[in-house]
Amino acid sequence: MIWLMWRQHRAEAVALGLFLAALGTILVIGALPMHASFRNDGVADCLARGTPFSDTCVEVMARFGGEYGGRGALLPLLGIIPFAIGGFLGSSLLARELEAGTWQLAWTQAVPRMRWLAVKLVTLVGVTIALAGALAAVTTWYRGPLDAIGGRFESTFDIEGVAPPAYAAFAFATAAASGLLLRRSLPALAAAFVAFLAVRAGVSIWARPNYQRPVTTNQDVSNPHDWLLDTGLVDGSGHHLTFAEENAMANAARNANMDLTGYLDSHGVARWDTYQPGDRFWTFQLIESAIFVAVAAALIVMVAWRVRRRAL
Amino acid sequence: MTQLMGSGRNESGGVVEQTAIRTAQLSKRYRRTWALRDCSLELPTRRVIALVGPNGAGKTTLLRLLVGLIAPTEGQIAVVGHSPASNTPEALSRVGFVAQDHPLYRRFTVADLLRFGRSCNIRWDQALAERRLSDVGIPLHQKAGTLSGGQQAQVALALAMAKRPHLLVLDEPLASLDPLACREFLQTLMGAVAEDGTTVLFSSHAVTELERVCDYLILLNRGRVALTGDIDALLGDHRLLVGPRVAGPHRDVPNVIETRHGDRQTTMLVRANGLEVAPGWESHPVGLAELVLGYLRRDAVPTVARSEPISQVPS
Repeated sequence: MIWLMWRQHRAEAVALGLFLAALGTILVIGALPMHASFRNDGVADCLARGTPFSDTCVEVMARFGGEYGGRGALLPLLGIIPFAIGGFLGSSLLARELEAGTWQLAWTQAVPRMRWLAVKLVTLVGVTIALAGALAAVTTWYRGPLDAIGGRFESTFDIEGVAPPAYAAFAFATAAASGLLLRRSLPALAAAFVAFLAVRAGVSIWARPNYQRPVTTNQDVSNPHDWLLDTGLVDGSGHHLTFAEENAMANAARNANMDLTGYLDSHGVARWDTYQPGDRFWTFQLIESAIFVAVAAALIVMVAWRVRRRAL
Repeated sequence: MTQLMGSGRNESGGVVEQTAIRTAQLSKRYRRTWALRDCSLELPTRRVIALVGPNGAGKTTLLRLLVGLIAPTEGQIAVVGHSPASNTPEALSRVGFVAQDHPLYRRFTVADLLRFGRSCNIRWDQALAERRLSDVGIPLHQKAGTLSGGQQAQVALALAMAKRPHLLVLDEPLASLDPLACREFLQTLMGAVAEDGTTVLFSSHAVTELERVCDYLILLNRGRVALTGDIDALLGDHRLLVGPRVAGPHRDVPNVIETRHGDRQTTMLVRANGLEVAPGWESHPVGLAELVLGYLRRDAVPTVARSEPISQVPS
């Protein structure tokens, strides 16, 4: 059975492994100068001393930002890799066997179906999580300097930490389940892709901002490590200004020939921020991962239940 | 070994035939349609059993139920003494199965496929598989996907036979084979039965070729068993009566399976032993193909076109 696993999936496993190894090598080689500059040109020191806005530090930070600030631009594309890994391996679990009719060959040998499924699931899910986890680790390391300066809560939550392997496990389960229902690899992969995008977008837009109650403050605490959810103006009585009221304020300031900041100050209007503090990053990562792992587990239980009942 | 056959009727010393497969009220429904309905069978061991029926009769469904690939909606199954639902290694190892279109892992070499069989079975006769493949000239290093249809069928058969199963089930093994490959395949199959005493059950939508190799028949039509039994006994039980053309059913003759009217003659398929033949009528023995067609036509929905010319004849 172990030999069969290897013989059946070695092509995909090796192809995925090589692809990710190449990607990882490019990231590591590309990151080395940036990491060296971060350590040696004083950027790390400025951040460690907590004085990024002193005269020398501003200059140092600006130079580093000019040189390496754009390095993160293409990284969000890595958000698709968990699906590439999980979807690819997940659709090879059942859809390929059902498409070619070989499920009838596999399940009439002396290996009971559920054992066959257990060995396949453990191995393929394991490979999926290992590959996605390795890439996420390299990405997290790559972005270390950029994250230290600019934060990672808002823009790169999806490609760092423990969330990507959880996304990959979810992609695997989605592709396995759609493969069982559609019985063909390509349609199953397409359906799984749509479901993956929909759930990922839905969770990140509607669920993630609310994992913990966000903090709202009238003090200006702008910190790049926080995740700013919403912002606006508040008057002395604590009333949040509507868009129309803000416009009216701006017009009044212009009519009074005052600059806007001074006008707002004189009328007791301040800025309010709603945000998730940066130190919640790992809590949020764990919550998000738990959600995707739970959905993946539910889908896999559904697949196993159908295979066990022989409802094919 | 005898108790594994699950017959319990062999006290007389093995003369009484044992049961390879027993089903009771076996039914399978896919959503709204019944693929198989109330199928009760008792099939003897050491036979070559043909499962015959038109396309869509439920043959594949029945075979998949017997080898445990799908679960029945209703009814019971016992195959060589085990329920296919148990899905234990022991039960699985007793049944060899070649599915329709003999699916194989196309990217595996033939040697890989043998290794697959070896690593996934309790009993495995590597020498037997290699001998069978070399007999039909299939090299072990070739990829399964590059073999011809006939060669793939031979590989699939070798995989199933190397399990040394008590029961070998094949779904439409001849469908994709040319006449020569078909003959070769049947020879291999017959050789196995002669050597090991394996029970073979295979389905076919064509009746030709079967008479030579099969000794037991199951005729399936629209999900129901239309006829089952030892082929020689069935042929002995049935006669074709040919006589002058008559309109409508013949009340004098019992057990008429099917009546056909030609321009001048009426032909009746009857199930009867030692039937007295009325004057002007002849009694002929019946062939397997005629027998099968007769039962299939009986169950067919009567069409207007067929009843029209009869009504025009004055009685």
